[in-house]
Amino acid sequence: MSRVWPVNTRVLVVEDDQSTARIIQARLEMEGLKVFVAFNGVEGLEIIQREDIDLVTTDLMMPAMNGFRLVQEVRDLPAPKGRVPILLISSNQNEQDMVRCLAAGADDYMTKPISAQVLVERLWRLHQRSSQQD
Amino acid sequence: MPVDSVLRALILGSIVLGTLVSLLVLLGAFIQFQRDRQNVHRIERFMAWETALPAYLFREPGALREFSAIPRRDLSIFQTFLARYQATLGGAEAAYLRDLYLSLGIHESLPKRLQHRSPATRAQAAKEVAVFQQDQYLQQVIPLLLDPVPYVSHMAALALSRSGDLQYARSVLIWVLQEELYQRERLLRVLEGFGPDLLPWLESCLDMPSHDPEAWILYALLAASHKDPRSERRLLQLLETPHVDLQAAALKALAVLADPLAYPKVLPFAHHAAWPIRALAAKALGLIGGPDAIPDLIDLTCDRIYEVRRNAAQGLADLGHSGYQALAWLAEDPTADRFARDIARERLEWAEERGHQ
Repeated sequence: MSRVWPVNTRVLVVEDDQSTARIIQARLEMEGLKVFVAFNGVEGLEIIQREDIDLVTTDLMMPAMNGFRLVQEVRDLPAPKGRVPILLISSNQNEQDMVRCLAAGADDYMTKPISAQVLVERLWRLHQRSSQQD
Repeated sequence: MPVDSVLRALILGSIVLGTLVSLLVLLGAFIQFQRDRQNVHRIERFMAWETALPAYLFREPGALREFSAIPRRDLSIFQTFLARYQATLGGAEAAYLRDLYLSLGIHESLPKRLQHRSPATRAQAAKEVAVFQQDQYLQQVIPLLLDPVPYVSHMAALALSRSGDLQYARSVLIWVLQEELYQRERLLRVLEGFGPDLLPWLESCLDMPSHDPEAWILYALLAASHKDPRSERRLLQLLETPHVDLQAAALKALAVLADPLAYPKVLPFAHHAAWPIRALAAKALGLIGGPDAIPDLIDLTCDRIYEVRRNAAQGLADLGHSGYQALAWLAEDPTADRFARDIARERLEWAEERGHQ
């Protein structure tokens, strides 16, 4: 399926492992997206407040502020920033964690190892859904 | 001894000592310099490979994939570089990483590295066997289960279980049962690697539940994580073992399987003497029985322990409209038990605040 992202679509990648962050960044940049990278939830939240971010992908386990907390903090922000679609990525396949994160307001959930192709597809669907809601 | 001879000996001794100290300082500085150089080189290599890797991985399927040549002296750095991505990347990218690993012949040094004197090297080798699916070296991984370094033995257990080959299950199970109990979650992740077929295997080889409850607790947790309906009959038997932790694990697993036929067997645990069991039963009943569980969940909202009442109220809320109706009725009924009324109101307020109703 061909995807045509709107010009200047901005994605925030929150990931404490720099190698993972860079590889995700590289893949998303190949899609023509503008990618911001944060290495923990605190940095991520700052970027969301400062920039007009369209999509967020965040790791679950991170220092300073984990992904679960980040989702809660973002959802407490006033719209439209508080409604930004969030995809959580975790190395843990714990079902309770997934339920907890989705209940906190995450829009989707993936567990590592992730396929970059699937990640892009999920982000695309989240973006489509959020565009339709707007 | 003449004074000038003593003086001369002292001066000579000082010179020798000074020279030795200077040599040691120089040697230390040289070692540090070498390490810094290696680190700088390692960082440079990592940065260069990180830039090249996306171009290699993210080509169109079927396109020619090439990665820059890796000098022999950099192979050990490259092993570490590649293995860290394997835990993150799945799907086609994982296969491309494996192709790259094999094309460089790094796996040929695995037998040597699995016996290396450095624990970090042994652990790295075991990790590579697992992530790059080098099953031909699994026999050489087995001895590492007895490694004195816990990280190495854990890596070895992961490598063996990720193969999914049940011929290694006994060795891994022995290792698991020797580990500390507080690490149950970590051990569970190891056993999960074997897949759901480990469950019938465990049933056939484990000792009686009353003799080895810990092993059966892992069995129940594993049944829950695989959601394997084949294990339901055994889980129901485990409920009859008078061991609270084992009963708790079995209840958790039965809640995950959510078979309505198991309901009559779970219901008696709503009146168990131990409150953690009652709390788990409260959680399980709604999941297993659906709306039919409402009368029993209402009974549990009167329990003297808060956690049991909270789980029962949550169980009602999870049932959707009919559960919320029961909660609303409890909250408004002046003749209802005070505990039940309070927990119903608390749960309804919680739901209202979040717009869940």
